[in-house]
Amino acid sequence: MPGWYYDKKELKNTPSAQDGIDYQTEMRYRKEGARFIIDTGIKMDLGYSTSATGVVYFHRFYMFHSFKQFPRYVTACCCLFLAGKVEETPKKCKDIIKTARGLLTDQKFNTFGDDPKEEVMTLERILLQTIKFDLQVEHPYAYLLKYAKCLKGDKVKLNKMVQMAWTFVNDSLCTTLALQWEPEIIAVALMYLAGKLSQFDVIDWTGRTAKHLRWWEMFVEDVTMDLLEDICHQVLDLYSQTPSQSNESPPQNQPRLNPPPSSSVARPSNGQNNPVSPDQPPPMHSSIPPPSDVPTYIYGTFTGAPPPVPGFPGFSAPPMSAPPVPPHMAAPPPGPPPNIAAPPPVFPFVNHPPPFAPPGVPPGANYYQPPNPPHRQFYPPP
Amino acid sequence: MQNNNARERTAYPQMMNNREKEKYIENYNFPYCDESAKYEKVAKIGQGTFGEVFKAKDRRNSQKFVAMKKVLMDNEKEGFPITALREIRILQLLKHENVVNLIEICRTKATQSNRYRSTFYLVFEFCEHDLAGLLSNVNVKFSLGEIKKVVQQLLNGLYYIHSNKILHRDMKAANVLITKNGVLKLADFGLARAFSTNKSGVPNRFTNRVVTLWYRPPELLLGERNYGPPVDLWGAGCIMAEMWTRSPIMQGNSEQQQLTLISQLCGSITPQVWPNVDTLELYRTMELPQQQKRKVKERLKPYMKDPYACDLLDKLLVLDPSKRADADTALNHDFFWTDPMPCDLGKMLASHTTSMFEFLAPPRRSTQMRHHSLPRPTTSTVQDGGYIDRVF
Repeated sequence: MPGWYYDKKELKNTPSAQDGIDYQTEMRYRKEGARFIIDTGIKMDLGYSTSATGVVYFHRFYMFHSFKQFPRYVTACCCLFLAGKVEETPKKCKDIIKTARGLLTDQKFNTFGDDPKEEVMTLERILLQTIKFDLQVEHPYAYLLKYAKCLKGDKVKLNKMVQMAWTFVNDSLCTTLALQWEPEIIAVALMYLAGKLSQFDVIDWTGRTAKHLRWWEMFVEDVTMDLLEDICHQVLDLYSQTPSQSNESPPQNQPRLNPPPSSSVARPSNGQNNPVSPDQPPPMHSSIPPPSDVPTYIYGTFTGAPPPVPGFPGFSAPPMSAPPVPPHMAAPPPGPPPNIAAPPPVFPFVNHPPPFAPPGVPPGANYYQPPNPPHRQFYPPP
Repeated sequence: MQNNNARERTAYPQMMNNREKEKYIENYNFPYCDESAKYEKVAKIGQGTFGEVFKAKDRRNSQKFVAMKKVLMDNEKEGFPITALREIRILQLLKHENVVNLIEICRTKATQSNRYRSTFYLVFEFCEHDLAGLLSNVNVKFSLGEIKKVVQQLLNGLYYIHSNKILHRDMKAANVLITKNGVLKLADFGLARAFSTNKSGVPNRFTNRVVTLWYRPPELLLGERNYGPPVDLWGAGCIMAEMWTRSPIMQGNSEQQQLTLISQLCGSITPQVWPNVDTLELYRTMELPQQQKRKVKERLKPYMKDPYACDLLDKLLVLDPSKRADADTALNHDFFWTDPMPCDLGKMLASHTTSMFEFLAPPRRSTQMRHHSLPRPTTSTVQDGGYIDRVF
């Protein structure tokens, strides 16, 4: 059985990399695709788990195909379309395409071809085969809430911390973390980060035993501080990307140089590295002028956002005395979500985590998202 | 081939053209989705809710047989059917001795002739018999110990799926498979769905148009939409009785008639025996026979004889779903813990080398409509592993 986790070396040797797309660019494509899925999901009133599932499909898909072969916004729509059905929140294909059209520039929408619906439908079969019909995807959200229930301390501060961690989980979808670590570990790491930033020191927790030094040792084993910090930095790096970086023109749909040989594409994540076919020609994409479709599309809110903690020092250092907390997060949680569409959010999509025992998370059903969860606005309405 | 690709690219320097994409799809060797050609179809063995079912042989291992269920996609406006996605997701979750095992999902090669659209097959472990087929064959005789084993395995399977928050919603003898070694497998999760115990206070709004009529519990017939595991236990009760009667015990031909048959067997449906039944949507619409006495034990005793069996059935065919025995309670019933104890079916089945599927069997009662597969002839007779697919 193949797994869905990859090490960093494997993440640098993707079909796109073999197709001549450099690492930074691929990460940007992944981020843009993920953001687009989330934005489309918000516009269509889909729940956070549908969008998150779609994003994970998207990341997995591009471990087997190149961004040059499959334009990212078509794939993104297809992933959201499938995730909608899997998460029992189906949306019509034509409605997804309509929403996508509203969010994309004409140039980007052109990648959908003459018959966008047909394009997405055909891709669905390819997507299903690529992700080996592994439809069920777990996300860190449920773990976040589960862990939070065990932590003791000031309720208001705890709430604030969970809210911040929830936002980090949202943002983590724009990284490849879901291809690297189990949702439990991501949840622990981002709670650790949120705890530091919101100055919530976990001193005691339910179920603590003498051998526990850290609260998360109750839930995950062998998680080192180095690993936690690596995960946190991957998320924090999103905020430090400068607008100019994100505004690079994405080359789209260049002719492929060579279809990736299946042997080098099929990369079981058992640690074996299949050598890249040596007879592959060198990448030539630098010679192709990038289309100039960029400036019209303001990339989410990452670009303008300052890093959440200016000059955030090395992680192992004790937390700074007073980390600036984004204004909307300082507002008394949880209550009815304040209208956060108005002020430019510092965190890209700040959403309000549910209270600790959300009715939408069925107890015991670790796999099932109820088809009609009580409607909860995790993403602010457009 | 490479030259060919290069030519196409020169022709369309900017956009990846359709032909190129088609070629890519045709040649891409999906590492996780094998081609269905690795199996060789040997016979059609059924017609499921969303496609045909075939028996097939593994080309690399002629001893290994599988059942292949075709995913029908021709009339789908919304791509891969959500019902099939549901079934796949549920089958991937459920791994248990008494639940049919999904081995993999295969595809046909995308070619020009299928407009680059693969057909998909769910590939299951092959089971030689289904219970409806076995029961329709008078030569197959079950001892009391063997019947206990069948019912015990049935309840074991239900206990497992219900623990995983899955409702089967299509219990019937034809969906209960039995291997040649006597292992029972619940099959056809085409109508199954996940459920949550609604602690949030928001009632479920499930469709009540589920379960083959003859096995449909009274709450569904009365329009309940917030139902749960008891719907499967009603079906289990019907199947249990059928082990002795050899044909479905309540063969209604309409929802109204089904309710009448249920009332005649289990007593009148009233708020006295079933509190709040009068709040169900169809309680006033349906005609419910009054003054009917409960006759479950009385009517089934001539067939079942064993008092423990009658008592367990009496606890399964309970009108009020909240009072119906759950799988765990049923498994603890004395029926399974008194002599003769449940015993293996392997020996008895070994004397029957003909594969028995209801699909291939003559109708058990020609006067009644069948809600699932109509029996139909099949042309292929295949000799494999000592089993002959019965041809009528």
